[in-house]
Amino acid sequence: MSQNHDLAGAAENLIQEHFELEPSLEKVIWINPNKTTEIRLLEINPESPPTGSVLSFYFPPYDEFPYAMKIAEITPEEWERILRHEIPLPNGWTLDNYKAYSRETVTV
Amino acid sequence: MTAWQNWQAAFLRQARSDWEAYQKTTELEWPNCQRLHYLQMVTEKLSKAFLVAGDTKLENLTGSHAAFVKFIRIMSGNRNLQRALGMNKSQQKVKFKALLPLAREIELLAPALAQGGPNPEYPWEDPSGKILAPADYSFPLMQRLQKTPQGIQLLKYIEIFLKRFEELFM
Repeated sequence: MSQNHDLAGAAENLIQEHFELEPSLEKVIWINPNKTTEIRLLEINPESPPTGSVLSFYFPPYDEFPYAMKIAEITPEEWERILRHEIPLPNGWTLDNYKAYSRETVTV
Repeated sequence: MTAWQNWQAAFLRQARSDWEAYQKTTELEWPNCQRLHYLQMVTEKLSKAFLVAGDTKLENLTGSHAAFVKFIRIMSGNRNLQRALGMNKSQQKVKFKALLPLAREIELLAPALAQGGPNPEYPWEDPSGKILAPADYSFPLMQRLQKTPQGIQLLKYIEIFLKRFEELFM
């Protein structure tokens, strides 16, 4: 099994778990899923306090989850502004390549 | 060490120093404004230690004080922390969610977010027109942090994050 395949499985399990745990989570955007070294997630939640910026928290790999994670929580309005390039993404993140997940597209 | 690791270590070092100051400013000898000022700075710098490693632009870190609530929200789903705290994922989510109102109160202590109201650094005018100095204000938040289960829990977690940062998050 390829490293990319393992990473994709881990990322999608994590996304599914976050939908299970957070009823108000509307959408998860996996940014640059082609990256093999880390998982970058934008979690869109109307309950998130708006800041007008993307604050991405870093978590290092550990035994049971061997991939670095960078997670930011934003509001739906902030996501719209990101798509209009009014709010910049964190350094190195791009909208060139991303996957969007909703509650309906993951098995919860 | 890379540049972001140096920044992370520096934010963590300062958060720990602020925590030490918070602990030394004991209730009997110091007004609540001084203790809460240190506590607000602890939480902001602790949160920023995670953000600076997460590709967050440096100008967003220095220009904003709103990071601690997002930090607690994100931590509520962190599996590594769940394991370290010996909770299952639902327990962790519920426990951390209960801490959010107090986390928000701490975040709002930053003068830039206090909207001209009570904050631990600068005088403000209350709705009756009275000018108040932080040193003369009781800050009921301090009681809630010390006497309620959520407050005690939040302070305990802050201490765990600071003491076990390298083990859990590096």
